Parts: sequence; structure tokens; C-alpha cells
Amino acid sequence: MTRTTPLILVVDDDPSIRQTLTRELALAGYDAISAADGVEGKAVFEERRPDLVITDLAMPRLDGLGLLAAVRKMDATPVLVLSVRGEEEDKVRALDLGADDYVTKPFSLRELFARLRTQLRRAGAAAEVLRFPGLEIDLARRAVVQEGREIRLTPTELAILELLASHAGRPVTLRQIIATVWKGAPATTADTVRVHVGSLRRKIEPDPGNPRYIGTEPWVGYRFLAEEEQGT
Amino acid sequence: MFSTLQRARALAWAAVPLALALITAAGRWAGANAPTIGSIYLVVVLGLAAWGGWAVGATASVAAMLCFNYFFLPPFGSLNIAEPANWVALLSFLAASTFASRLVANARRQAEEAQRRRREVETLYDLCFSLFAVSQRPGVLGEAAARTLRALGADTGTLVLLDDQGGEVVSAIGEERLEIADAALARAREGRIFELAGRVHIPLEVGGRVNGVLVARGIAAPRTVLEPAGRLLALAVERERLLGEAAHLEAVRESDTLKTSLLRAVSHDLRTPLTAMGLEVESLGCHLADRPEAMASVRGLSLEQERLTRRIDNLLALARLEAGLARPHPEGVPPGSLFRSARESLELILAGRPVEVRVAPRCPDLWADPSLALEIVVNLLENAARSAPAGSPLELAAAPAGPGRVRVEVSDRGPGLPAGVRRMLQTPRDLRPGAAQGSGDSASGGLGLRIARSFAEAGGGSLALLDRAGGGTVARLDLPAAPEAEEGEA
Repeated sequence: MTRTTPLILVVDDDPSIRQTLTRELALAGYDAISAADGVEGKAVFEERRPDLVITDLAMPRLDGLGLLAAVRKMDATPVLVLSVRGEEEDKVRALDLGADDYVTKPFSLRELFARLRTQLRRAGAAAEVLRFPGLEIDLARRAVVQEGREIRLTPTELAILELLASHAGRPVTLRQIIATVWKGAPATTADTVRVHVGSLRRKIEPDPGNPRYIGTEPWVGYRFLAEEEQGT
Repeated sequence: MFSTLQRARALAWAAVPLALALITAAGRWAGANAPTIGSIYLVVVLGLAAWGGWAVGATASVAAMLCFNYFFLPPFGSLNIAEPANWVALLSFLAASTFASRLVANARRQAEEAQRRRREVETLYDLCFSLFAVSQRPGVLGEAAARTLRALGADTGTLVLLDDQGGEVVSAIGEERLEIADAALARAREGRIFELAGRVHIPLEVGGRVNGVLVARGIAAPRTVLEPAGRLLALAVERERLLGEAAHLEAVRESDTLKTSLLRAVSHDLRTPLTAMGLEVESLGCHLADRPEAMASVRGLSLEQERLTRRIDNLLALARLEAGLARPHPEGVPPGSLFRSARESLELILAGRPVEVRVAPRCPDLWADPSLALEIVVNLLENAARSAPAGSPLELAAAPAGPGRVRVEVSDRGPGLPAGVRRMLQTPRDLRPGAAQGSGDSASGGLGLRIARSFAEAGGGSLALLDRAGGGTVARLDLPAAPEAEEGEA
């Protein structure tokens, strides 16, 4: 796909949100198109192949989860889900089905655009070393250096940190962590993950009570908060 | 049934002299010899025994012996016997005919018994079948009772359902209604069939529990089927009860589903326009960034939108609580993250107000549902911001509070708690919005505090509002601490 400006598809059954978002996206320098439900969204996606999809979850005809499944069959295009507070299960299900991020209604444009930029930036070659302010993760050497000092992590903690850091700015669900770090071992529970994240935080966070790197996403899992430093 | 049997017996008795007279006359006329006529007598005696039973057979054999002796053994015409050999013949005839008629009568009786049992089984089978057919349709116990009574051949009867409190008459058949005395009900609870005042009382027992009693008059069926019939009807009653319970549970479940989907719809429908409104206001802010006088209005709009969002969050949280849908999913929540999220949620309400955050070193994570914990802290913080004078500082603090507990405090320098809110927080769990009626704005603030307390309690914690030394209020939230991670390998 050779586009100079990213094409964003907005799928929401509410016309006000659809109009405002497409207008604001256009003002922010993106190309924006919209669809009123999952069926229409799927058709538009097939035709235009946008670079990113923003979709509501509750929609007539085909809901956001259905659209997500259809998109995932065609492409790995980032999908950002608009969820509603109190419907955490839907949000988690969407993430487990392959959604890349979510914002919770009512959200702000600032928040939405920040998430959107993270998703669009995501593409790129896998780096050998992940560099964050005050923290370096050397994936090849499997070493973690904080403020110039090497930190000793258990293999489980290191695996969790690598997973979260390589998804910096994006949420990672508990299920994804269990699947990647524990290879889906049946006895692994959410609490096991939480206990290991707790000890990881105590090792890498300057102030574990006020995490700088590993943020908790209520109901969902975790999000690596720090932004990767660009350059070597 | 009984009368036909009795008629058969009477006929058999009458047939004894007739048959013997006929055989004797025919034998005399034909000049039959003693062995021939003896065997004919034997056949007739066996036939009579089979017809009329053992007593008829025995009588017939004695009478046949006398006829045989009188008419066919010399000297003829007397009961004397000339030859000793004929004594042997006569006695063996008597023994053979008596013994054989006994056997025949027994066989006959057993056949009748088998027949009777077959009829009982048929009765019960029919009853079973019809009760099963009836109980496919709920709410027709009366019909089940009527079918049972008909199967038993009763002309009048009543079914009384028994529970722990007493009895309830559900149906009756027949001309008159049978009144059942309490004493009879009490006796029925013992579980044995009894007769009282010409009525048969059949307790309906299943699993060691008497769940009803069937009272009937004029039962034609044998007593032996009453108990199994009672058990069948008891099963039908039990099934009816279980069906009722299942329907009730189903209704409860459906109402929960309805509540959930209603809440979801309301939540979605309220938040969507609110989101659209917020986006428009934000967009307006971008366009008017260089016009300070317009920006004041935009900020005002944003603030109101945020407040409206909080109100809706509170009301929906309250609805979830009341509908019993707020089930906490605890996980480790670092107090610092919680405070940050809370401040972000109240960005505009807290604008221009210093908020001091203190997390004690080595303070454990909270073990709480993150959404509920956020709701609690946001409500406490909003309440503090509302009551304290503009620009006065607020404080957020977290520290360990004894083993396995974390204490979170939200402090302000406001005028202290209004008496109404304090009183309201002391009354247990009255979450009705009306109950929060205080003076002006404190009503909604009170609602927020109530929700905070309910969520705290739902998460195994507690919330107290205290006067702060030097003026103001401290909202003190105690929550469980997250379990300590074990050092070492996974």
C-alpha cells in the first residue's frame, strides 16, 4: 500500500460520532472514511483496505466483534475498539480476538489520537534492543539495564517484560500473556500472572507504588506505558 | 369382581348333588362296573374342585365315595362292604379324589391370584401412564388426583397437599366434598394408609417426606394397589413442585439477563451522545484556542460534560449494585496508578487545584477490582473537590495499614462533613437516591459517597469519613493488600 497519508476507517452506528471523528481525523491530516455498521464496514474495508480501523462494539447487523473477525481474516490492519464502561468483557474479548487497542466512551480526541499514532507507528522492523527512558531491554542478550545498572530477572519475568515492552503503548491481555509466556499451560491463572508482574514491578520500577513502565489495565491486563526512544 | 366369584362358588355347590346323581343314574342304567364308575367319579370330583375350590372338591369326594359304595360295591343298596379288597378300593378312591381336588383347587387359586396381580399391575401401569401424561403439563395436579381416584375405582375423593405449615385442598371428585379433619392430616403425616369414618386415607410419600394425602370413599381396587398408587401420585406432586421451583429460578435468571441487557442499552445510549458532545466541545476548543473569551465557555462546557459523565457513571454504578451485577474481580492495583487514573478522570473538576500524592515506600498494591477501586477514589476525590474551597489543596495518600491491608486517604481542607451526609453514611445500605436528600448539591455528593462505601464493602474493605485535624475531612478507605509475590522461578 503506497499512501502518503494513512487512511482511517471509522465504523460507528451513531452518526454524530461518525461525523465528528471523520472531520477531526481529516483536520489532523489523515484520510478518513466511515461506515454505519459492521456489514458496511466490512465492505468498505475490502474495497479500500484502510491502514487502521476504529470501530464501535455494539452495532446493528454485524457488531464490532464480527467486523474484527472479518478484518482479521483479510489482514493484520490495526483495529481500535470503542468500548463502553461496564462492558469490560466485550473489550477483553475484542482484544483476545485480535483488536489492537481500545478507548472507553466517553473518550477524548487527544486520547484517541495518541492511541492511533501508537498503532500507526507500530509497523517496522523488530529491534534488537528496546530502549525506553531509563530502561533498556536487550532482546538478543536477554539483559535488562535500568539507569546503567543491570537487573537480574527470572526467565518468567523477563519473558513478561519482553512481551509488554515489544507492545509498548498497547494493551496486552492476561490471556495473551499466559499464551506467550506460559505457552498456555492449563494451570496458569490470572493470579499467577499478577504475582509475577508484581515482583517484576518491584525490580524495574523506581517507585513500584506508582509504576512508570508497567501500567495496569483494569479487567484487561497490562500496558507498557513508556514510549520507545527512537534512533539506534 | 367379588360377586361373580361368589356366584361361581354357589353354582359349584349346587352342581355337586346334580353331577353325582347324573353319573350314578347313568352308571346304573349302563350297568358300569366298579373301576369304570370309580374313575368317572374321580374326573367329576376334580372338575368340581377346579370349579368351586377345595371345600367343594372335598365334599364332592366324600359324597362320591358314599354313592360309589352304595350303588356300585356289593352288597348293593347298602353302605356295608362285603369284600375287604373293596375297602381298599373305596379308601384309595377317597384319598385320591381328596388329594387331587386339593391340588386342582390350589392351582386354580394360584391362577386367580396371578390374574388378580396382573390386574393390579395393569391398574398401576395405566395410572402411571396417565399421571405421566398429565404431569407433562404443569399445573394440573387436580387432574392427576382425579385419574388416581378413577384408577382406584373410588366414587368420591379429595387430594390435600401438605407442607410444613398445613394442608391445601387442590381437587375433589364426586358429588360431595370430603372435609378432612386436622387430626386425620396429622395421622397421614406418619405415612401409613388408614381408614377413618368410612374413608381411606392414602399418604403420598416420596423420599421419606409426606407431601400430600389422598382421601377416598368407595374404593373398589384391592388394598395392595393403594400404597403404590399413593407413591405414584406423590411423585406427580413432587414433580409439580420441582417444576414450579424451576420456573421460579428461570424467571429470576431471565430477570437478571433483562437487567443486564437493559443496563447495557442504557449505558450505551447515554454514553454515546455524551461522547459525541465531548468530541464536539474538544474540537471547538481546538478551533477557538486563540480566543480566550470563547475558551472560557468551552472549558465550562467541558466541565459540565465531565460532571454529567460522573453523574451517569454514578447512577449506572448504583443500578449495577442494586441489580446485584457488580461482582468484584480483584487484582493487584498499584496505588500510584489508581491515583493517576482518578486524577485523569477528574481532569477538569480538579483543574487549578493542587493535589498532593503520597505513596508510602514499600506500600503494597491494593487487592481490588480496578474499576471499583477507581470508582471509589474518583467519588471521594470529587466529593473533596466539591466541598473544599476553590484552590485549596487536596491530598491523596496510600500506606500499609497492618498485615494484609492498605489504607488510602483522601483529605481536604473543606468545612468538614455536612451533618446530613454523615448521618446518611451511618445508616446501613440505604442506596435509594431519595435517601440522599440533603441540602442542595450535597445530595448527589452523598450518593457518590454511598456508592464509594458500597463498592469498598463489596471489595472486602471499609470506608470511614473522619474530621481532619486542623479542619477539613479525611475519607479513609481500608482495602486488602495484594498477596506478596514469591521470589524465584516460575
